[in-house]
Amino acid sequence: MLRIPFLLICLFTLSLNAQNTAIGVGEKLTFTASYNMSGVLTDLAEVTMETSAVKTSKATLLRLKCRATTYSKWDNFFKIRDLYESYVNPKTLTPYLYNRDINEGSYYKNMKYTFSHKTKTVKTVQKKKKTTENKTVKINSGTKDIISTLYSLRTFDFTQLSIGTNKVFTILFDRKEVKGKVTYLGKETISTAIGKKTCYKIKIESYSSSTLNGTLWLTADANKIPVYGKFKIPVGNGELKIKSATGLKN
Amino acid sequence: MKKLCTILAIIASVLAIILSVLPVSNLAIFPAIAALVFGILAFYLSKKTGSVKKIIQFTFLLTIIALCLTTYKAIFSEAKVANTEVIEATENKLEEEAIEELEGLEIDDSELEGLEIEE
Repeated sequence: MLRIPFLLICLFTLSLNAQNTAIGVGEKLTFTASYNMSGVLTDLAEVTMETSAVKTSKATLLRLKCRATTYSKWDNFFKIRDLYESYVNPKTLTPYLYNRDINEGSYYKNMKYTFSHKTKTVKTVQKKKKTTENKTVKINSGTKDIISTLYSLRTFDFTQLSIGTNKVFTILFDRKEVKGKVTYLGKETISTAIGKKTCYKIKIESYSSSTLNGTLWLTADANKIPVYGKFKIPVGNGELKIKSATGLKN
Repeated sequence: MKKLCTILAIIASVLAIILSVLPVSNLAIFPAIAALVFGILAFYLSKKTGSVKKIIQFTFLLTIIALCLTTYKAIFSEAKVANTEVIEATENKLEEEAIEELEGLEIDDSELEGLEIEE
C-alpha cells in the first residue's frame, strides 16, 4: 500500500528538480511542417524554435521563441505568420511573460500573459483587430504556457523513466487551464535531416482537446532536441521534421 | 458501365489538373491514377462496342499534363519562406515591450540567484 504514495512522491520530486541542462542560449532549430496523405508529403510551413538571453536590470532571462511561417507558395492562399514567445527562468523554465501573436489569413489575435507565481495569478491581455480585453486568471502551481511546457519536456531525465510512465502537466491556453499527459514510449532510432538519431519517443495527450494529441521524438543525448513530430488530423497526418539544428548546448 | 467510366475519368482528370496547379500539386497523383484507370477501362469498353470517343483521349491528355506538372513542381520547385519583414518587426517590438514589462515585474531573486547563462 505504501508503494503508491512513495511513487507519487518520487514523481513529484522528479518534476520539481527537473533542471535545465539541455537548453542553452543561441539555439536555433528549424523544422518543416508538412501534411502527409498516404505517404504523399506536402510542405506547408517552416517552424523555427529559437532561444536567446534577455537582460533586465534585475535578472537575465531566457527567451524561448517559436515562429510558424507558411512557405511562399501558400501565402496567396492562406498566409500564416504566427509568433509564440515565452520569457522564462533559464534554470527551471518557469515562465514570467508569454506572448502569442497570431496572423492567419485575415484573422489576428495577440495574447499576453504576465505570470505572478507568488499570488498564483496570470494577468492576461487579449487583443483582436478591434477589441482589447483584460482579464486576471487564477492558476495552480506548476501551470505554464505552451512554449515553456514544450521546452520543459527536454528537461525530463528519460533514463530514469520506464516505458509507459506518465507525467501530467497543465498549460494555460486561451486563458483556460488545460491538463495534458506525456507518456514515455521507449527508445527508437530514426533517420532525420541531421543524421540517424536514437530518440526518446513520447506521446502527448490532452485531456480536454484532441487537437493537441501527438507523438514526439527527442534525441537521446544531452540536448534532447525534438527531431520529429507526428499528429493526427481528420484526414491524413501532420508531420514536423527537423531541417537544421544550430547552437546546441551540449 | 462505359458511360460511368468515361464520366469518372473526366471528373478525375479535371480534378488532377486543378490540384496540379495549386500548391498541393503532390496530391494530384491520386486523381491522376484514378483518371488513368477509368480512362483505360472506358477505352477498352468503347473499343469492344465500336468507336472510341475523343473525350476519353482528351482525359488521357489532361492526366498526362497534370502528371508532368506535378513531377516538374516536385523536382524543381523549392519550398521557400518569403515576406518575413512584418513578423520580424513584430518580434523586435514584442521583445522591447517585454523587456519594459519584465523590468516592472516582481521576479523572485532567490530563484535566479547565482544564475549564469552559458553562451
